[in-house]
Amino acid sequence: MNRKFTFLLSLLIMASVLMSACSNTGATAVLNEKIELRVWGHQAAAFNAADQAMFDEFMKQNPNVSIKYETFPWDVFIQTIQTSLPAGNTADVILIPGGYTCRYASGGQLLEVPADVMTLDAAKEIFYAAPLGGQTCDGKLYGFPAEYNIEYGGAYVNKSLFDAADVAYPPKWDNWDALVSDAKKMTTLGSDGVMTVAGMHFTNSDQLFTYFLAGILEQGANYFAEDGKHFNFNSPEAIATIQKLIDMAQADKIVDPIIFNAESEWTGESFAQGHNAIGILGSWYAGDAKIAYPDLKFDYVTLPPMMGSEYKFASVGGWGYVVGKSTKHADVAWKLTAFLGANQANVLAFNSTSGTVPAMKAVAADPKLLEAAPFIAATLPLLDAGQYQGYLTDPDQLAYEIIYPTILNALQGNLTAQEAANSINETANAMVDAAQ
Amino acid sequence: MAINTFFKKEIISDSGKLMAKQRRFAYTGIVPILLYMGLFTLFPILWAVIMSFFSYTPIREGSWFLGLGGQNPFVGIKNYIELFSGTGKPAEVFRLAVKNTFLFTALVLPMNLIITLPLAVLLESIGERFKTLFRAIYFLPTISSSVALVIIWSYMYAPGWGLLSIMFKTIGLVPPKSWLQDPNTIYLGVPLAMLCVVVAHVWQDFGYNLVIFVAALQSIPKTLREAARVDGANLWQEFWLVVVPLLSRTVMLTSVLTVISSLQVFVIFQLLTRGGPQNQTQTMVLSIYENAFRFANNLGLSSAMSMILFIIILILTVTQFRILRTEWEY
Repeated sequence: MNRKFTFLLSLLIMASVLMSACSNTGATAVLNEKIELRVWGHQAAAFNAADQAMFDEFMKQNPNVSIKYETFPWDVFIQTIQTSLPAGNTADVILIPGGYTCRYASGGQLLEVPADVMTLDAAKEIFYAAPLGGQTCDGKLYGFPAEYNIEYGGAYVNKSLFDAADVAYPPKWDNWDALVSDAKKMTTLGSDGVMTVAGMHFTNSDQLFTYFLAGILEQGANYFAEDGKHFNFNSPEAIATIQKLIDMAQADKIVDPIIFNAESEWTGESFAQGHNAIGILGSWYAGDAKIAYPDLKFDYVTLPPMMGSEYKFASVGGWGYVVGKSTKHADVAWKLTAFLGANQANVLAFNSTSGTVPAMKAVAADPKLLEAAPFIAATLPLLDAGQYQGYLTDPDQLAYEIIYPTILNALQGNLTAQEAANSINETANAMVDAAQ
Repeated sequence: MAINTFFKKEIISDSGKLMAKQRRFAYTGIVPILLYMGLFTLFPILWAVIMSFFSYTPIREGSWFLGLGGQNPFVGIKNYIELFSGTGKPAEVFRLAVKNTFLFTALVLPMNLIITLPLAVLLESIGERFKTLFRAIYFLPTISSSVALVIIWSYMYAPGWGLLSIMFKTIGLVPPKSWLQDPNTIYLGVPLAMLCVVVAHVWQDFGYNLVIFVAALQSIPKTLREAARVDGANLWQEFWLVVVPLLSRTVMLTSVLTVISSLQVFVIFQLLTRGGPQNQTQTMVLSIYENAFRFANNLGLSSAMSMILFIIILILTVTQFRILRTEWEY
């Protein structure tokens, strides 16, 4: 009995020693463990170059971490995160569009930013409200905005087309009518009457959506109904905004919406090919245009408010860095995320390389930004006038299936402003009801 | 008697062993394929059937069981009712997509047959060397990348400076302002954009049917045609009274295949028109894709859409195969 007890005791001691030895080895292994982080983003030359430079620096500073950067074309990227996030099979860090963060955060698929990394109150001091809104859900912070998505208030201008029409360059418009007046002078029709150069291209999907919401806000109205979930898209202000857009196409004829729209003659490519003199598009395209069309001569200028005297607009937020719930290295993932999105020098580098508008206030005020990305100058004065677009139920469906095609249809002469507003209001609210 | 019984038992026993071996071999061959099909074909179909009865989107947290329940509740046939009579935009667009899909199929089928059958007869009548060459040329678009072909067609259809517009202008005609994006240009109830997609699709697809027709023509016994000629039939009579009846099964087969493939066409619509202008080229598959992946991941509704498409294809296929079930003519 005694011998048996002694034997068992020795076995227990040996096992304890072995286990403690193993656990020590394990701890050492964690410290020296080679960690591979996967990062997902969409394919955009300027974005990808900016991110890759920061990944290289992070890996240099953290030699045990390797970063696998995987990029996808826009559609594939959206589908990939839509299917992979719920399945718990995603990259550790994702550069996600602002409007998408809350969709996944509410489904429990993203991690909340740990308080020791950054609190929401601290974030409010650091970032502009509109892009931060895209990363904040139910009062919780889920990521760091990398840029401020602003499709409003700026346009690309083509010097040679201005010169050819004898229009002052660089332009400085006091009001929207002056802008339209110049655009009219530069609109060109072919011998067959088909528009070859649009004086001003504003009929892309994002632009019609942005200016529809902005037009309502500029007049001091709101596009949300009182419950904050449904919409008020047939208000007098909404109808007046649509009418203004219709007038520019049909009365002023500065764009032919049958030829120039999201599916045909997309603003950026169309501008680069000299098919529009003033192309309303976010300054983010400047980075891509510089790479794709190195010989293209253009500037990015500030536009006046469209419906009033004050700038007011809604923003989708902007791209931001988030961490997926399925990550096995949350601490390292947050370290990388903070390195990318909360480190001022890195954010400056990202915005400078990608030509994107900064979400971080300190970076917007840094003169180095404009040295590297002078095109951003046109939008910097407008950043405080932006607000996050809010919870739109299904932002893509609202923008691309409801608002854009309906307003385009009106611009093409098939609906009145009133009919378009009623149609948008009815279908948008049906979308909200269906989702509840 | 005893000896006979003994031999009988031996034979049965041997054949039993043989049968068992054969069975083992058969199972070994069949099981992996069955597993593969079960996992990648039957399960997704079953999963789609189940999802169509739920308000399901993977971005919402459901229960432990495949994410069903919880925030993805069971809704019975609500998705189907919505698709048939709902006022929501997705349902409204889907009903339009059903019409467009049938219109597309109705245009593609006759156009395809009208081109491929006479062309196959012409090909069959020329020398072997040229026959192979032309067959390869006509088949080339079928095996080429759809994306590349759509890019070519998008340049051809570009407004103003596109190849088709230039050709029109060269011969003194006025081309449409926009081939693919003008919702107001409609010919005999068919939007111009839809006609353009039909032309591009038929061009890409007709090589497939052509090869089938050529093979069918080659299998018609020469004696039948010679007999017709001996009886005094001219070339037209030989074609119309001998060849065409003998090709009826092939015509039916190609019709079935063309109808099924037309109902499922996706790439050309997605890349050339994205369903525009004003949903005039929105098809069922495009609607399914957009609701599943482009908009709020409404997989419940898009599964119901795919079930409706599945049932339509099933009915058409069964009907056409019943018609096909005839005796061989030769």
